[in-house]
Amino acid sequence: MFTKLYAATWGEVGKAKEKGFFDFDLFSWMAWTWQTAAFFIFIALCITVMLIWEKKVPGGSPRKGILGLDTTRGDRLFVSLLGSAFIHLAWLGLVGSLLWIASIICVAYFIVVFKYV
Amino acid sequence: MNKTINQKAWYFVIPVFVLVAFNAAIPLMTVVNYSFQETFGNNVFAWEGTRWFKQILLSERFHASLGRQFAFTFIILLIQIPLGIAIALTMPKKGWGVPVCLILMSMPLLIPWNVVGAMWNIFALPDIGFLGHSLNAMGFDYNFTQQPGDAWLTTILMDVWHWTSLVVLLSYAGLNSIQPAYYQAAEIDGASRWATFRYIELPKMKKVLTLAILLRFMDSFMIYTEPFVLTGGGPGNTTAFLSIDLVKMALGQFDLGPAAAMSLIYFFIVLLVCWVFYNLMMKNEAQS
Repeated sequence: MFTKLYAATWGEVGKAKEKGFFDFDLFSWMAWTWQTAAFFIFIALCITVMLIWEKKVPGGSPRKGILGLDTTRGDRLFVSLLGSAFIHLAWLGLVGSLLWIASIICVAYFIVVFKYV
Repeated sequence: MNKTINQKAWYFVIPVFVLVAFNAAIPLMTVVNYSFQETFGNNVFAWEGTRWFKQILLSERFHASLGRQFAFTFIILLIQIPLGIAIALTMPKKGWGVPVCLILMSMPLLIPWNVVGAMWNIFALPDIGFLGHSLNAMGFDYNFTQQPGDAWLTTILMDVWHWTSLVVLLSYAGLNSIQPAYYQAAEIDGASRWATFRYIELPKMKKVLTLAILLRFMDSFMIYTEPFVLTGGGPGNTTAFLSIDLVKMALGQFDLGPAAAMSLIYFFIVLLVCWVFYNLMMKNEAQS
């Protein structure tokens, strides 16, 4: 269907590119980039780690955390991921540059959530 | 006796898994991909990084539509929840009135969104609509197609008309589940009507009310069809709530990147609110 694909940087817009090994017609419409793919692989890894963790220590280690909520590991992962999204958004809105600092804050946030929430 | 372990039932989950993948996960992934890129159609994409997110977060247009959205949701909750409880309290508990009230109450809920919008549009038209014409004949300067205040009033009235019944039905179910013994005890203690409501009925309705608030919050926060048909987001942008603004950006202007970024921010807000309500409901569950 698409014998020619177009490159993904501004300098190369409009220039035809040879179809690469991973450019399947099946999902070329999804406009994948390696950055977003890495993000989803990270999410998939998180879920896989949770699965392995659950096999090793079944039951999800429920407890009442500092927020006064009954949480399991899955809840903690959800809180961490959603919180990280908001931390990144807040950083983008308030600071605007050096987004990796927000990512470092998120790592700390992950640890805090998994320890105390 | 040893139980045989057979996990083959998990195969039955596969259809659901595939369905969710195609109608939720894959579109969501595509939105994430779009939100970092610029496109002019024809499958041509260029990397833009976090530019759209920054743009949306700092855009006055987004702040305005988010503000309108929260204002709208807050106002309709403020009206619908007390009104719903009040109606449920006055509904008959037995006799022929019960089915009549229940059917009357569920009617608005059964009408499709776009029909509700069209109905209210015609009903409120200042020249030929019953409401609009009557108001103008009484001397009120009412025109929802031109005056922002009137447009808001009409949109809120429409939503109250459409959805208060849901709160009524939920509250009614909550009220009906209260054992008569509670009322008898209240009567013996000489409790006033208000005290009975405050200390018996309201606590007993807590669960259903949390559910009602969650449902009404979500539905009104994601409202699209009714105001789209009624006002089309106008006059100007005054009733352009988040969804309407989002569709304008995505389909009207074909700004897929910014629209994708905006829908992700929208999605995160909805997720956060959902999570808060879920925890509230779980707490209610644990208490009872």
